[in-house]
Amino acid sequence: MLGKKMLNFMGIILLIAVLLSACAPTATSAVEPPATDAPEATPVASEAPSVTEEPVEAAKPSGKITLWMWKAAHDALTNSGVLDEFKKEYPDVEVEIVEYAPTDVYQKLPLALQAGTGAPDISLVENSHLAQIVALGGLTDMTEWVTPYLDKMNAYKWADAKLDDRYYAMPWDSGPVVFYYRRDVFEAAGLPSDPEGVSEAVVTWDGYFNVCQTIMEKTGSACFSNNKANNYGRLYEMMLWQQGLGYYNAEGQVTVDSPENIATLETLKKFWDANLTSDQLEWTDGWYAELAAETDAKPIATLVEAAWMGAFLKGWIAPGTEGKWGVALMPAMADGQVRAANDGGSAFVIPDQSQNKEAAWALTEFLFGRVDSQVAMFKASDFLPSLEEAYTDPVFSEPDPFFADQAVRPTYVDVVKIVPIAYVYGPYYPEMNGFVATAIQKVATGQTPVADALKEAADAIRAQTGMP
Amino acid sequence: MAETTVLKDSHLSLSAKLRQKWAEIYKARWPYLFISPFYILFLIFGVYPILFSLYLSLTEWKGLGPIKFVGLKNFELLLKDKVFWQSMTNGVILFFLYVPIMTLLALVLAVILNSKRVRGFRFFRTMLFIPYIMNIVAAGFTFRLMLNQKYGLVNLMLGIFNIAPVPWLESIWGGRISLCLLVIWAWLGYNMVIMLAGLQTIPSELTEAALIDGASSSQAFFYVTIPLMRPVILFSVVLSTMGSFNLFSEIYNLTGGGPINATITPVIVIFNQAFGNFRLGYASAMAYLYFIILFALTLLQFRYFGQQAD
Repeated sequence: MLGKKMLNFMGIILLIAVLLSACAPTATSAVEPPATDAPEATPVASEAPSVTEEPVEAAKPSGKITLWMWKAAHDALTNSGVLDEFKKEYPDVEVEIVEYAPTDVYQKLPLALQAGTGAPDISLVENSHLAQIVALGGLTDMTEWVTPYLDKMNAYKWADAKLDDRYYAMPWDSGPVVFYYRRDVFEAAGLPSDPEGVSEAVVTWDGYFNVCQTIMEKTGSACFSNNKANNYGRLYEMMLWQQGLGYYNAEGQVTVDSPENIATLETLKKFWDANLTSDQLEWTDGWYAELAAETDAKPIATLVEAAWMGAFLKGWIAPGTEGKWGVALMPAMADGQVRAANDGGSAFVIPDQSQNKEAAWALTEFLFGRVDSQVAMFKASDFLPSLEEAYTDPVFSEPDPFFADQAVRPTYVDVVKIVPIAYVYGPYYPEMNGFVATAIQKVATGQTPVADALKEAADAIRAQTGMP
Repeated sequence: MAETTVLKDSHLSLSAKLRQKWAEIYKARWPYLFISPFYILFLIFGVYPILFSLYLSLTEWKGLGPIKFVGLKNFELLLKDKVFWQSMTNGVILFFLYVPIMTLLALVLAVILNSKRVRGFRFFRTMLFIPYIMNIVAAGFTFRLMLNQKYGLVNLMLGIFNIAPVPWLESIWGGRISLCLLVIWAWLGYNMVIMLAGLQTIPSELTEAALIDGASSSQAFFYVTIPLMRPVILFSVVLSTMGSFNLFSEIYNLTGGGPINATITPVIVIFNQAFGNFRLGYASAMAYLYFIILFALTLLQFRYFGQQAD
């Protein structure tokens, strides 16, 4: 008797559940983003050229907007005073900033876009994850707004913001990769320690290898940190980027196991095999300690990283090492090849569910489209503007005491101008990076030869993404 | 039982049967109303997602846009997905690495702390249980600092005894053992409390009788206490089995699934696919396959252990 009642009851539950799930697709299609929708009130906003001093007379946006970003970016906005300037020009717009770590943004923002509710009016997104979120959908088509800026920003920055020739993001900063080095360690190793001399010594990765060997022999310092068992492929990605390579190519074919990619990882492997690297994982306490170490405590001698790294070094990782650092050009794969890559960089996106897109765009354009704001934020943060007009500002030629009075910013600018278009980031970046990172770990710990490891990763990526 | 009811009811017409059923329900309308909140919530947050993800497992969906029906393609992909199978293997390895040790430790500690002769047993019980209520994020972070190969406290201490630095988080087995250390540290107290509760249901007369009959205290433990504790031990082991496949926060905060995917578990893989790669269909297929495997494992455990307990 009980059994039968139970069965009946289960039947009812099932019936209701089936009805509910049958409703689901229609419910979700209501959430589906009208991605092709052009933003409505574009004329007013985009006709205001960034260079004119006079604010636009026509109806100004008003109301409250919410902004998601991480701490370093928030600090850049606060410390530079750009928000106060914005307030002067747009007194009716109230900006609320919510701080999330980047990894939190990449979980919360997609969930909010998928749910159709809960997203902010603006969110900061790193370029590494931008294409994936653009492909997900649910963002405002900003094409009409950003068109005047297409030629003004670093060209390669637009690749991740674009989907089917429409643009869904406005770039903030770029991550030109340079070669940070410890002058004191280079001197102790009897190597040239001026930027030109160092640039010449590390003209290729092979030259870099010889420099590292000398440093290890003379001082016992590891050349750079590159963890073996938990490697997540960041340095490898920069090496791919400088060659215009990546995880796929312009035709959309997976190139993870291409001869060029294999050769690149072989180059990196030589450093591990010769024990020239430190095994501290990036962004952990051990890594900070080795970057901040005194000359005789075997500090890390070099660091191939983007321009924003300089700000982190002097700000909180190694403020005690002022005057001991220098900036040179990163090594090239072969003599005469490009000595520039990109790592990171970020952009603003405006979720489609925002109720105040005009105000959101007004803030975006004010911050990233204007030379004054970009320069002010750059002074406060060292986030190199993607806006190229900003580079002529005198602040770019100022010497920096942290780098022994070297004027490092012209180097950043020289590099960012020649960063090639590469295929590292993209809609499948987290997945591709995950498989390749595992391959690198296998190679670095000596378990698998380079070609086999990358072949396995490439096959997995092809199977999972359906790309050829 | 059910068949006789069917026979008895069979002379009634369908509508009469329905009417009768409805009358029964109506008679008990108040009780039904009072228990309804649970079932309504269960329908919305339990049954609906379960069935919807069954549907999703046959589709490709990013959480936005159209849902594309792909049949069994996800399951086909899944069979070739090395990371998923590695995660299942990891679950088994982790199970054998920590469950026997933890269960034994929990039992022994419970027996010791159950005897009133231990001075300050309440203090020790509390101390053993405290890790369980500690935030695992903080614990994972602290473990990571302590287990750092070059700068960690643990290797520093080992160095005093001239033991070479252990690559705790930098090697496949090191990573697994580190994870087990954290899991045992965090869950020992919980399992001990379960055992303690079990022990307290065993009448002390039984052990006393055995002792009077000339059994040594270890004999009393192995031949009286353990057999009587079997259902409790089974309960604790079953929980730990599911726990070792379901490990999430511990891994997320200590190893992140590395090195070389050595500590990745099915739940982490499912999470990454759904919320990292936005592949909700594939993640659902994974969840279903994983559920079937785990269900079978639990059935086996019950059959093997449960019968012996009877």
